[in-house]
Amino acid sequence: MSERDLSALARELEAIVGAAQVRAPSALEARAASIIVEPRDANEVAELVRKCEADAIALAAIGAARTLAQIRPAPVAVGISLARINRVIAYEPDDMTVIAEAGLTIGALNRLTAARGQRLPADPPGPDHTTLGALVAAAQAGPLRLSEGTVRDLLIGVRLVGHDARPIHGGGQVVKNVAGYDLMKVMVGSFGTLGIVTETTFKVRPTPERYTVAIAQFPDLAAALAAAAALHEAVPLIHLEVVSAAVADALGYEALPQVFAGVAGSAEEVAYLLTQAGAMLGSASAIIADAEAATAYEGLRDFAADDAAIVAQIAVAPAELAACLTRSGAEFRAHAGCGVAQIFTRDASNADDLGRTLAHWREIARGARGNLRVLRVNDDFHHELNFFDDPPGPALALMRRLKSTFDPRGVFNPGCFVGGL
Amino acid sequence: MAPTAQSTIDARLLAELRELIGDDGMVLRATELKVYECDGWTLEKSAPEILLRPRTTSEVSAILKLLHRRGIAYVPRGAGTGLSGGCLPLGAPVMICTSRMNRILQIDYASRRIEVESGVVNLHVTNAVKARGLIYAPDPSSQVACTIGGNIAENSGGPHTLKYGVTTNHVLGVEIVLPDGEIAELGGPAEERCGYDLVGAIVGSEGTTGIVTRATLKLTRAPAAYRTLLAIFADVENATRAVSAIIAAGIIPGAIEMMDQMIIRAVEAAFHAGLPEDAGAVLIIELDGIAAGIDGHAQKVSELVRGAGAYEVRLARDEAERATLWKARKRAFGAVGRLAPNYATQDGVVPRTRLPDILRAIIAISQRHNIRIGNVFHAGDGNIHPIVLYDERDASETQRAIEAGRDILKACVEMGGSLTGEHGIGVEKMAEMPLIFSPEDLLVMSELRRVFDPDQRANPNKVIPVPGACVEVSVPRRQVAL
Ligand SMILES: Cc1cc2nc3c(=O)[nH]c(=O)nc-3n(C[C@H](O)[C@H](O)[C@H](O)COP(=O)(O)OP(=O)(O)OC[C@H]3O[C@@H](n4cnc5c(N)ncnc54)[C@H](O)[C@@H]3O)c2cc1C
Repeated sequence: MSERDLSALARELEAIVGAAQVRAPSALEARAASIIVEPRDANEVAELVRKCEADAIALAAIGAARTLAQIRPAPVAVGISLARINRVIAYEPDDMTVIAEAGLTIGALNRLTAARGQRLPADPPGPDHTTLGALVAAAQAGPLRLSEGTVRDLLIGVRLVGHDARPIHGGGQVVKNVAGYDLMKVMVGSFGTLGIVTETTFKVRPTPERYTVAIAQFPDLAAALAAAAALHEAVPLIHLEVVSAAVADALGYEALPQVFAGVAGSAEEVAYLLTQAGAMLGSASAIIADAEAATAYEGLRDFAADDAAIVAQIAVAPAELAACLTRSGAEFRAHAGCGVAQIFTRDASNADDLGRTLAHWREIARGARGNLRVLRVNDDFHHELNFFDDPPGPALALMRRLKSTFDPRGVFNPGCFVGGL
Repeated sequence: MAPTAQSTIDARLLAELRELIGDDGMVLRATELKVYECDGWTLEKSAPEILLRPRTTSEVSAILKLLHRRGIAYVPRGAGTGLSGGCLPLGAPVMICTSRMNRILQIDYASRRIEVESGVVNLHVTNAVKARGLIYAPDPSSQVACTIGGNIAENSGGPHTLKYGVTTNHVLGVEIVLPDGEIAELGGPAEERCGYDLVGAIVGSEGTTGIVTRATLKLTRAPAAYRTLLAIFADVENATRAVSAIIAAGIIPGAIEMMDQMIIRAVEAAFHAGLPEDAGAVLIIELDGIAAGIDGHAQKVSELVRGAGAYEVRLARDEAERATLWKARKRAFGAVGRLAPNYATQDGVVPRTRLPDILRAIIAISQRHNIRIGNVFHAGDGNIHPIVLYDERDASETQRAIEAGRDILKACVEMGGSLTGEHGIGVEKMAEMPLIFSPEDLLVMSELRRVFDPDQRANPNKVIPVPGACVEVSVPRRQVAL
């Protein structure tokens, strides 16, 4: 769109939501969208969707824009920021459920629920930058996925604005519900390509009374990964992270492969679990608790390999992960026991290098019946690659039908998801 | 009822089917087909014209391709234990049963994954892995009979889903034969998917997206220790309050199940499980996990339920006592057969803090309609199972039973709940769908269904009320069928 068209569009958008709600994008946002609109409620979102569909203008919901800025080959015209749609609608601690608007961040939600000893245990990097909408759209998870599952397991209700500006809701506010098709699953990990999520309902969980981490370092990767596998087999942990030497270094630990085994529960449970974990990890392990454990956890959770040339997430059957990581030769942060790791490399001097690395990783993932998704890539190369694996033919055919059913005019964050959807 | 493509099964089709799966894969005789005229929801009956029992995915695919060419609708069937009429043929002359697809294909202990054919019985999955300290967590009370395919279709739960989640939380991949016969492999052993979560869309779709032929399931570490408590109350009100007290204290037991007096007595008469027949209600509360600290939790729960009015709390002393309690609970439905010739089980859900309110409402509804209603349910999830008793030979009583059931569901919805927690909408609760979903919501759901089944031949006339009929909620279709 030309400058002139954009400013004309901005004026039209102002007419819908008011001038104060339309602004220029920040530097990061500019890679995701050309104009940012901040609607105040779902009705305004619906009006914006109606306008964009009528004029065939691409739009996308934007949280902190971190993911979109990466995966979009070019910005959409209209970025819908949900920053003002961020209320808590109902928090029912005794039911352990919360209904909140999609612009609220995980961090803000968890500060509220902390007062009742509860939390939304979805822990992608940067809870204060991750809106609930982005959590649903990008479905990123963190260390706690081992014990608490992922957003897929926690989302029990959703409201979105779909095509034709339709207000749609699925699920409800009860923890068990099979009435109708599971729209929550359809929306989770859909990267904003099916509609604009405006409200989410989650299960929350009790925050454990105590949390302690056993940290052990190993001379080589194989030893660290083997220790983690043995630990996973024997001890119920709250998380089990394995990091390569470079990650350990970046997190402020000795530059050796390290295992972080988290245990949680009552004092008695934690004491018992630590004895077990400690016995398996041997004398090389250190135990940290309280504030120190919390800091270590936050470091692990927020680690994002910002200086890497490329970061990808590999997911395979858990028992295959160690072999995949070893073969990849990449630095990594692994959610052992879940078969998921973020892998990265700092050295790639040109796009060809990077393409070869990525092809190698993809082949490793496929060989283990898994998949790979690029999370981030150095600015210089970012237009030239596929962020998503292509699903097998029949699956992709279904996905194409799903996309054209939910987004017949192709306006919702088009052209950056699997198969170019 | 919606008009459907009513193709007859002609001689040519029969010959082609015989070619595909052989005589032993087909049931044609009316007397034999009568077995398949309903599932666990018996208010309506209708036998298929033919039953097919394929042995492999390619047989399923060949059958569905043939039906696709002929424009013939079909109903998938597992063990037929469904409680919402999901297996009832409505405008679908062909029934396809997975009973011969019952092999366990692959177990990866280190990854805690198992790949099975969809006709495998739920309990057989756990039986296959328990020697290695693993279980398949979703445990519907019907688990000795129901199939993984049926569980996937209904997104089934069970007592222990309070802590461990329902079927959808444990299914990572499926092989599905789409209604046009195309085979799609979706998801797999990895926890992350590439592209849309179609597995998540298929789980709970009640057989309307195709025939699931295989599934990759997550296995769970078997708890090292259990403490199973029987908390005894004078009335249901206090029992349901106790449930909230436990959850509010931040304790998530493996299971919290409730039985009221009518059910307790029926169970005692049938199985002599040692339940207190004079009690108004009991809770079975099971804590599980590691041994360390579990007695402390049991003590805490014991105090909480006493605080909420339990006059006695018994702790199962050993595995035998625990097994007896669970047997009593899991066979409660069977015992209900003694109370009345017929019963219909509702499956509403309320936020768990509203359990006392919904139980009070159920008592009032029972009195208003002069119908007996027993309660045995997954209390920890707020998932109620009022069992409405009636005699189908008594038309007036049958009618009152239906109305009582509907009133209960309405009350659940008014309390912020849902129509069904685990049994599915099926045909049974279609008419109530507009109570919780707007016309737009229902439209989107039917569009989603058509992504998989464009011409609506997979288990037609289920789940979503036919457009136009939405407004006729006051004339539920099942009344017509009685
Ligand atoms: C005594 C009793 C206790 C029960 N307790 C529970 C409980 O605790 N929790 C719970 O959730 N449910 C419970 N149920 C309900 C029932 O057992 C479950 O819904 C179960 O999952 C049904 O499995 P099934 O194999 O019998 O499926 P069926 O009844 O044969 O079929 C159910 C639905 O699944 C579809 N279907 C079956 N197989 C496939 C396939 N391979 N692909 C696609 N669609 C398919 C059918 O078309 C139908 O719509 C109980 C039932 C009884 C009778």
